[in-house]
Amino acid sequence: MTGIWRSTILALVLALMSASASAAQVYKLRVDGLACPFCAYGVEKQLKAVKGVEKIDVDIKTGSVIVTVVEGAVFDEATAKKAVTDAGFTLRGFEKTPRQETGK
Amino acid sequence: MTTARGAAKIKIAPLAGLLFAAAFPVWGAPITFNTALPVHEGGLVWREQFIYDKNSRDPSAANRNVKVSGLISILGYGVTRDFALFGMLPYLDKRLDMEMGGQRVTRDDRGIGDLTLFGRYTAYQNDAPGRTFRVSPFLGVKAPTGRDDARDGLGRLPPPIQLGSGSWDALGGVVATYQTLAYQIDSQLSYKANSEANGFRFGNVTQLDASFQYRLWPQTLGGGVPAFLYGVLEANLVRAGKNRMGGVDDPNSGGTTLFLSPGLQYVTKKWILEAGIQVPVAQSLNGAALKNNYILNTGFRVNF
Repeated sequence: MTGIWRSTILALVLALMSASASAAQVYKLRVDGLACPFCAYGVEKQLKAVKGVEKIDVDIKTGSVIVTVVEGAVFDEATAKKAVTDAGFTLRGFEKTPRQETGK
Repeated sequence: MTTARGAAKIKIAPLAGLLFAAAFPVWGAPITFNTALPVHEGGLVWREQFIYDKNSRDPSAANRNVKVSGLISILGYGVTRDFALFGMLPYLDKRLDMEMGGQRVTRDDRGIGDLTLFGRYTAYQNDAPGRTFRVSPFLGVKAPTGRDDARDGLGRLPPPIQLGSGSWDALGGVVATYQTLAYQIDSQLSYKANSEANGFRFGNVTQLDASFQYRLWPQTLGGGVPAFLYGVLEANLVRAGKNRMGGVDDPNSGGTTLFLSPGLQYVTKKWILEAGIQVPVAQSLNGAALKNNYILNTGFRVNF
C-alpha cells in the first residue's frame, strides 16, 4: 500500500515538473559598432526592456548578442532592430536558434 | 590699493581660457574632452570629475599663485538614439595668492559655478564588427549661475577668481570618434564665444583636442564583456583671445597653450574610473600672463 502511494506521489511530482517546464527561444544577434564595455550596457538595457526577454549574453569580441526569450513572447527582427538602434548601434544579423528546454 | 586690485584683475585674466578648457564637459573615453560615442535612448550617464589646476609661474614681481579645485558634476541623457543632452555644474574653490604692498594676500571664493548645457547630435555613423566611426556636432550655452559679485576686504574679487562670469556664453563644435576593440581615437574642435558682464568680457576660446586610448589589459580578449584598462594620451591646443575690460583689449591676456595629458582609465560595463594630468608643454601667452603648471583630472562615470 505504501509503495502505491509513493509511486502516485512521484508520478504527480514528475507530471507537475513536466508541466512547469517551458521552452525558451534563443536568438543570436550580430551587432556592429560594439567596441567597448561601457557601450555594451546600452544594448543590454534596451534588449532587457523588451517584454519576454529573460537573459542577455553579450560577447564584444565577436559582436554577438545571445537573447533568451520566454515561450510565447514575440521577439522578431523588427523588435531586435529597434532595441539595438535605440542603443546607438546597428543590427547586422538576426538568427533564431533551435529551442532549448529550461525548467521554470 | 585700487590700482593694485586693477593690476591683479588684468594679469590673471589669461587663466580664464585654461580654466574653461579644463572644465569642459567630458564624455565617453577621452578624459579631457567630449566624444561622439552614444548615450542610449532613455539612458543616463553621470560623471563626477575632480580637477586641481595650479598656476604659479609668474614672470612679474607680484609672485602670483592661482589654484582652482573643483568637483564637476555632469549628467548626460539620451533623448533619442542620435541626440543627447548634457548638463555640467561645477563646485569650485578658487584661490589667488600674491604680493601686494609688501604683504602676501590671499583672495578666494568657493561655491557653485556656472551651469553649462549642450546638445549633441550624431550626424554621421558607420558601424562595423568591433568598430565604429561617428561624427557629432554640438551646441550649447553657459548660464551665469555662479556668483560673480563676491567681495573681500580688498573689494570685489577679480573676474577669474569669481565663481561665475555673470555672462551668457555660447559654445559649439564638432567631435569625431573612431573606436575599435583595441584602441580609440577622438578629436574635437570647439569654440566658446563669451559675452560681456560687469564691464568685462573673457576672450573667446578656440580649442583643438585629440585623444588616443590603447587597451593595455586584457591583452587578449576572451568572451563576454571584460573590463578594459586603457592607457590614454591626449593633447589639447587652447587658444584664448584677449579679454576686454571697459571696452579695451587687455594686452596681458589671451594666448596659446598646448597640453599633453597622459592618463589611465578602467572601463567596465557599468562604470569608469579615470585619472590624468594635463601638462603644458608649450605656452605662448600675451604680456605678463600667469602660466599654468599642471591640471590634475580624476573621477568616475556611471551608466544608468
